[in-house]
Amino acid sequence: MTVPTDPPRGVSRRSFLKGSAIAGIATTGLTAAAAAPREAQSFGPGEHEISLSVNGTARKLTVETRTTLLDALRNRLDLTGAKQICDRGSCGGCTVLLDGQPVNSCLLLALDAVGHAVTTVESLGTGDTPHPLVQSFVACDALQCGYCTPGMVMSSLACLQQRGQPTREQMRRDLSGNLCRCGTYGRIFAAIERTAQGGGK
Amino acid sequence: MSAHEPRDEVQITVGYRGLGGQPDRLEPRTVKTADGDAPPWDANTELTAVGSDHSRVDGLAKATGRAKYTSDVTFPGLLQASILRSPVARGKLTGLELDAAAKLPGIAAVIPLKQVGHRVRFVGDAIAAVAGTDLHRVRDALEAIRAEYESEPHTVDYLQAAEAPLLGEHGEITDAWPESAAMAQAIAAAAITHEATYRTEVQTHSSLETHGATARWTGNDLEVFCSTQATFGVRGELAQALQARGLDVGSVTVHAEFVGGGFGSKFGAGVEGLACCLLAHAAKAPVKLMLDRFEEHTAAGNRPAALMQLRAGIDGDGRLCAFDVRSFGGCGFNVEKGDGGGGVAVPDYYTGKAKTRRQHLDIATDTDPARAMRAPGHPQGWFGAELFLDELAAKAGVDPLEFRLRNDGQAMRQDQWRFGAERFGWQQARARPNEPGARYRRGVGLASARWSQLGSPGRQQRHGIQCRIHQDGTVEVRSGAQDIGTGLKTVMTLIAADELGIEPALVKATTGHTSDPSGPGSGGSTTTPSLAPAVRHAAFLARQQLAGLVATRLGVEPGEIVHDGGKVGTAKQSMPWRDACKLIGPNPIDVRGERFPNYKQKPFSSTVCGCQFAEVEVDTWTGLVRVTRMFGVQDCGLVIARKLAESQVLGAMLQGISYALHEQRILDRQSGRMLNGDFLRYKILGAEDVPELDCHLMTVHNGHSSTPAAGLGEPPAVAAPAAVANAVFHALGVPVRHLPITPDKVLAALAGRKG
Ligand code: FES
Ligand code: FES
Repeated sequence: MTVPTDPPRGVSRRSFLKGSAIAGIATTGLTAAAAAPREAQSFGPGEHEISLSVNGTARKLTVETRTTLLDALRNRLDLTGAKQICDRGSCGGCTVLLDGQPVNSCLLLALDAVGHAVTTVESLGTGDTPHPLVQSFVACDALQCGYCTPGMVMSSLACLQQRGQPTREQMRRDLSGNLCRCGTYGRIFAAIERTAQGGGK
Repeated sequence: MSAHEPRDEVQITVGYRGLGGQPDRLEPRTVKTADGDAPPWDANTELTAVGSDHSRVDGLAKATGRAKYTSDVTFPGLLQASILRSPVARGKLTGLELDAAAKLPGIAAVIPLKQVGHRVRFVGDAIAAVAGTDLHRVRDALEAIRAEYESEPHTVDYLQAAEAPLLGEHGEITDAWPESAAMAQAIAAAAITHEATYRTEVQTHSSLETHGATARWTGNDLEVFCSTQATFGVRGELAQALQARGLDVGSVTVHAEFVGGGFGSKFGAGVEGLACCLLAHAAKAPVKLMLDRFEEHTAAGNRPAALMQLRAGIDGDGRLCAFDVRSFGGCGFNVEKGDGGGGVAVPDYYTGKAKTRRQHLDIATDTDPARAMRAPGHPQGWFGAELFLDELAAKAGVDPLEFRLRNDGQAMRQDQWRFGAERFGWQQARARPNEPGARYRRGVGLASARWSQLGSPGRQQRHGIQCRIHQDGTVEVRSGAQDIGTGLKTVMTLIAADELGIEPALVKATTGHTSDPSGPGSGGSTTTPSLAPAVRHAAFLARQQLAGLVATRLGVEPGEIVHDGGKVGTAKQSMPWRDACKLIGPNPIDVRGERFPNYKQKPFSSTVCGCQFAEVEVDTWTGLVRVTRMFGVQDCGLVIARKLAESQVLGAMLQGISYALHEQRILDRQSGRMLNGDFLRYKILGAEDVPELDCHLMTVHNGHSSTPAAGLGEPPAVAAPAAVANAVFHALGVPVRHLPITPDKVLAALAGRKG
């Protein structure tokens, strides 16, 4: 993969990907917040030391320009909740929140997450009582093999946070970027509903 | 829970309670239980945890991202690895230069997986593998490997192969049927006959966790984390393959605590698992090798394509009197003696006294071999047969349900048809006409299912379960077999809890480490029926030991001790479970239960029965089909974890819709390469496609073991594609005989051409 010598900040990995077969396909992905151009800064190939705000904690790590946020989370910070399933923005298994917006972390360079708040699924399980949404996932059996589940939980969380009392249609739309091979979708809708109604608290 | 010891002969009640007001189908049976086995649970046994709505015991670990799958395992100094794959569909490897790659920075090991002169069998065949500090460097190194090939003409389309039958302009087989005077006579005697050809395409398993492994050597002992549905199979396979390569292998331990789906594709370590172990050996460091999505689609198995032709006749009473099937499997390169895993199964309970004939031929192509996939051979065969029967019924002017009731020889399904039709509202939905000329047309369809596995006792190598009761009152149940999302841990927990008369929260189930007692691979829906009785037996032995301690303390006979409601003792005096466990001391009660063979007596039903109903809406302008509603009735044997069983049934229905409407591997004939090897162009069902979905689980006491559960991987995966295809036939008035039912085929069918 060629890395431009002067990539503007805020450029996602998508624009670097060879072959534009996937360009223009909408995902739950990048939002204005993530893509807003900020102060220009050049990064060449090679390693860079950066600091990422992950689940409210500043984490220092070394990444290459081409390192994705997903790669950084999984392989540098040992936060393996987000999964690498397609690595192309088509499954949602790698969904995390960036300043509260769901993004496919496989499509975002780690460098581009600098200065933004990254929230991963691990933040929902800390403390004595897990987040009501994950409790609802368990209560509604919204998971089988569980491999899509962290991504589903994060997309569902964004859906709840943004819509409060989402309708089924809104849930379908908000989860349309997440794939589940075991077929848990209906159970996930039920888990979102249960949480919206105050279940799991 | 009764305290009685198992006797040789036990009277039990088998069968099931009436569905929605139908009469009970219960009958007495005398079974002979094995010496020392737990007494059978039957239709009159009252159970607390088993059959309840208890949640999945590892649900929280999965939903919070804490569960560590093979892809998530890490070690200090862990290397990443990847495989160089052939761009050639058929030929020979004529040159392989690895040195340049090995010299690149960050590269720790480069190994050949084929030698110069070896045959190359499909695009994606493994050539060499590289391990390095991160995947970017590994990919750079893969590009630096020089591999040369001599390519030969290839065929990736089985219909182009010499053995393939000739197809007419409507896709129908035009070759004459092989001669059979008896069949010709039966057809000639029929009142109404029908003949048609059906096709399905290659489906990939598309497990979301790809195949792969993480391997670590300590001296000559090997530890492998593997995304597999057969921990013990992988252990044996790797030990053998590594020894065959001249490595000195001590012990091999396999771990698969969490597995991100398998669906039949993950029985072996595969070339990727072997490469991972070899690289770790060469690099003297732990190595992880996970396939990427393209590799997963192209080199990790698939459900093969099927082509089938049926002809049949019915007599004046609407009963089948002749049923003739010939089928072809479109398989990978591995077809030997005609068997490449492409076999097609068709229902065998409609044909009664009819003259029947079945012929099948697997056809090789230069592609990745087929692997078992959720009910191998069944969804494709049931699609063909059930759509064919609807067409035949239509010719005879008989309602599809009525046609099934007349011909279905399985008594349990007769009940299921009636109950399911009532719940689904079949009569009304079927009678509702579509407005002439309306853009959207609705239709409903139904289809049957059966699966014939009640759990193998594993004759050669008896499966077992370890059960430990600790002095703090906690209980461990352990199996070396794997839970691939089917809920084995939960099943083990609930069974042990009921046998011991305690809360499930006190039980911790562990699966997926070959250091624990052996269990089967998760295939053929056999894991639960195979292991449920072993869990029973282990808990039964453990509670007998505890009963001994309690009896001594209370000064009664051990045989008088009952475990129930968290208490241990007799009717007169008992102690709370926790107090009883204090008698154990620092070393836990530690016993191994085993899986005895199934009872010799005939089970209540020797197959697992089901049926499903679907409603579709077809957009006649765009050709898009949407499933709007679906309902399934499923025999589950003894339902153990109700919510989980339901999830599995509903999930299978969704997978069936996905197969019926969306999935097909598309290969480029010129290059042999897959054109849609990702999740953008290989569509699997998503959240937008989910219909209103419901199912009814039936507990059926088969009386074949102490704990007569059935597995639910396969049984609910058989009917859905057929039910959807039949609904489309109803909506359009013409059948679409080729899955997936994509818009082009719908529009062609509507235009009066055969799709
Ligand atoms: S792994 Fe990121 S969307 Fe699939
Ligand atoms: S639970 Fe298995 S992929 Fe969603």
